[in-house]
Amino acid sequence: MSHEVPLLTARALAKTHGRTKALRDATIELRAGEILAVTGTSGSGKSTLLHCLAGIVRPDEGSVVYAGQRLDQLPDKRLSELRRTEFGVVFQFGQLIPELTAIDNVALPLLLAGVGRAEAHKRAGAWMERFGVRGQEEQRPGEMSGGQAQRVSMARALVTGPKIVFADEPTGALDSLASEQVMAAMVHTAREAGIAVLLITHDHQVAAYADREVRLRDGAIEDSVDFEVAQ
Amino acid sequence: MSASVKAQASVRTLVMEDLRLAWQLTRGSDRREWLRVLLTAVGAALATGFGLAALGIGAVRGNVEFPYLNGLLDEPGVRNGVVAALLLLLVPVLGFLAQCARIGAVHRDRRLASLRLVGATAPQVRRIAALEAGLACLLGSAVAAAVSVPSLLFLWDRPPLWLWAAFAGATLVVPVVAALVSVLALRRVVASPLGWVRRVRPERGASALLTLGAPTLMVGAAAALVLMGGEELSYTAFPLAVLGAVTLTAVGSVAVSGGTAKLMGRWLAARTDNPAVLIAAERLRTDPWAAARTHAAVLLVTVVGVSFLGIRQMLLDDLNGPGRRVDDMAFYTTGINLTGAAVLVALTITLSGLAVGAAESLATRRHGLAAQAAAGVPQAVLGRALLLETALPLAPAMLLAGLGGTAVYLAYGIVAQVSVPLLLPLLFPAMVYASCLLAAATALPLLRRVVQPGELRYA
Amino acid sequence: MSTRHILLGLLAGGPSHGYDLKRRHDERFPQARPLAYGQVYTTLQRLVRDGLAEIEGTDSAGGPERTRYRSTDEGARELAKWTGEITPPAPFVTNEIFAKVVCAILASTDPAGYLRAQRAAHMERMRQLTAVKTATDADLATVLSADYALSHLDADLRWMTTTAARLTTLTAEVDAA
Repeated sequence: MSHEVPLLTARALAKTHGRTKALRDATIELRAGEILAVTGTSGSGKSTLLHCLAGIVRPDEGSVVYAGQRLDQLPDKRLSELRRTEFGVVFQFGQLIPELTAIDNVALPLLLAGVGRAEAHKRAGAWMERFGVRGQEEQRPGEMSGGQAQRVSMARALVTGPKIVFADEPTGALDSLASEQVMAAMVHTAREAGIAVLLITHDHQVAAYADREVRLRDGAIEDSVDFEVAQ
Repeated sequence: MSASVKAQASVRTLVMEDLRLAWQLTRGSDRREWLRVLLTAVGAALATGFGLAALGIGAVRGNVEFPYLNGLLDEPGVRNGVVAALLLLLVPVLGFLAQCARIGAVHRDRRLASLRLVGATAPQVRRIAALEAGLACLLGSAVAAAVSVPSLLFLWDRPPLWLWAAFAGATLVVPVVAALVSVLALRRVVASPLGWVRRVRPERGASALLTLGAPTLMVGAAAALVLMGGEELSYTAFPLAVLGAVTLTAVGSVAVSGGTAKLMGRWLAARTDNPAVLIAAERLRTDPWAAARTHAAVLLVTVVGVSFLGIRQMLLDDLNGPGRRVDDMAFYTTGINLTGAAVLVALTITLSGLAVGAAESLATRRHGLAAQAAAGVPQAVLGRALLLETALPLAPAMLLAGLGGTAVYLAYGIVAQVSVPLLLPLLFPAMVYASCLLAAATALPLLRRVVQPGELRYA
Repeated sequence: MSTRHILLGLLAGGPSHGYDLKRRHDERFPQARPLAYGQVYTTLQRLVRDGLAEIEGTDSAGGPERTRYRSTDEGARELAKWTGEITPPAPFVTNEIFAKVVCAILASTDPAGYLRAQRAAHMERMRQLTAVKTATDADLATVLSADYALSHLDADLRWMTTTAARLTTLTAEVDAA
């Protein structure tokens, strides 16, 4: 797989929350199909970086370019559409609607895209199968274990066939075994489908699933390790 | 003697200590706590105000010459009607207060549970909760009393002494009841230091019916007593029947609202292709009684409003009709207009409660909504789901409430043997329905604020 | 780690000869250092000397002659005792990384740079182990032994992260002493 083409490029990002500088001069590149871990201590700006890259917030300074478009300049509506179709998002928790069944949660992005319910369920079911949560279709998020809920969340993030999945501490609320199963499922599926993953984590064992690691410290890139070069 | 003095002193320090803690906690919390205090005070002021007005008018004995309202308050029979109307206005006010109590409820529950966790005893937490709720209400009641007392002195040279005692009692009743209710509502939080974290919704059907039925019956009984006290029984039979019909229809509408919310949720959730409808339907299916609770007062107002409009038109037709000479037309029109104003006030209060409820529902779910928006669910879809949550269950209930109100004034029409109007009274439910949607829509600007990425950080 | 007891454990599965024991050891403990054949041979001789194992016979089916060993009752008792004994949580960890950091401070070279490089090497090893355990044909023994190594490397990494953040204080302390 080619890791040469940058899919997403961010240059000199800066973002301030109130008086705290969450990001200062962060430059980062995500190549097609790679799994990139962004690590750092709590408060180092990891989540803010993800929010800027995924077009959830606009940086105060700098540029984010995805497929030739400046994300920091796109209108909200277009960004929302992009996040729904080209990107997938997985958070630590909370991205599943508690009232919807698992299969409806996974199918929701397809319904938003105007796919019919029957077809959406068929495709959602196939993704749930790949994440090993077949059989939980009719359960609601409150009735599932944390690991199952995260696998359903990943199925939802991938159901539209995105180019990039943004995962913010996807295993942050899980024990090590559940965490391992969730990560293995995600990495396996992403590699198979050629999807790039930007993985935010403070856990080295989770970061070890990545091809490359970028470390943040006080809102700036401290260190970037390309595992394949280091090898 | 010294022992009892000491006990008194220790009770006082305990209460002062809790008061200080309650104050610090309230001061340290976010704006929504203050909003709750403010809105609760407004509700308490309204409740106390209506109560005091009813007391004042009820205290007047025999025929008097009252210079205002075209002699409407001169006769005892009519005065009793006004008192009943004022007491009925307490129903929407109580509904509004119930909505206000829900603002920031999750936040408050967590706060009190964490107090238990750091070692506060259950009675202490109960006292703090009671103080918080009671003080907010006392603030409102005091304002209402401060307005009512000078008004009374202005209108009545020498009000009887017992009326002052009754005024003082009524002013205190609202805060005391609020304190008791909040202690009752917090029993789960108080019982466990871990609070009510993982929430499995209990069956709400019976308790919802009870919370609706109890105040309705209470107010209804009070109104009935007033009515019966005035004139001979045959004269009171008709208003009593009306009152009964109104109550029954309202309870029926709520049951229908809850029931159809459940059925409609299930039916739509299984079929729809539309994501907004799907989200709304599943929310209704999960908690149908939440909608019913919120809509109870709306439906009651609709029943009363439709009946009133029908009766009003028939009455006016009758009075203006041929072969009828009415000396004091102004007496009747003032009465009718006053009743109309009462219905409008009730509607306004109810709609405010609805708007508060919609805003609260958004605020409680803000983390989840922010996550949805971040994942690319358009705000428009989330907003439509919010409106549909109000619109879907309200439609059939509104239809029933309209029919109930119509039945009430049809009965009057048949008894009075006049031609029955149809258009205006039947437009009323449609108007209320539209207003409810507007009230729910007032929460939409809040949605825009709620879906900020900053909310992603908090649970 | 006691090679004696591990060989006794492998013999508990049935009589076996030296080469076979080495192969089974390397298979069953994939992340451990492979056993040298010479070590297997000398250990087996000591087991026989101590009465924990005995020679069962020799095979020479079409190849060089091989001695087959089996465990004695005494050996089985010794094995049971060993598996029941707790392993003492090592009180004195030989921490080469810490020693290097202190020496780098004393010699005024670049301890922070060393920690960064060491960190990268640790991460790379963790990534390799993760690749090993997530391979589709990995059996549970492989996964668990990789996990063991991963957890230890993870502990090292966490220690390095906190140490890197406190290098200034450490430098002052070491220089003052």
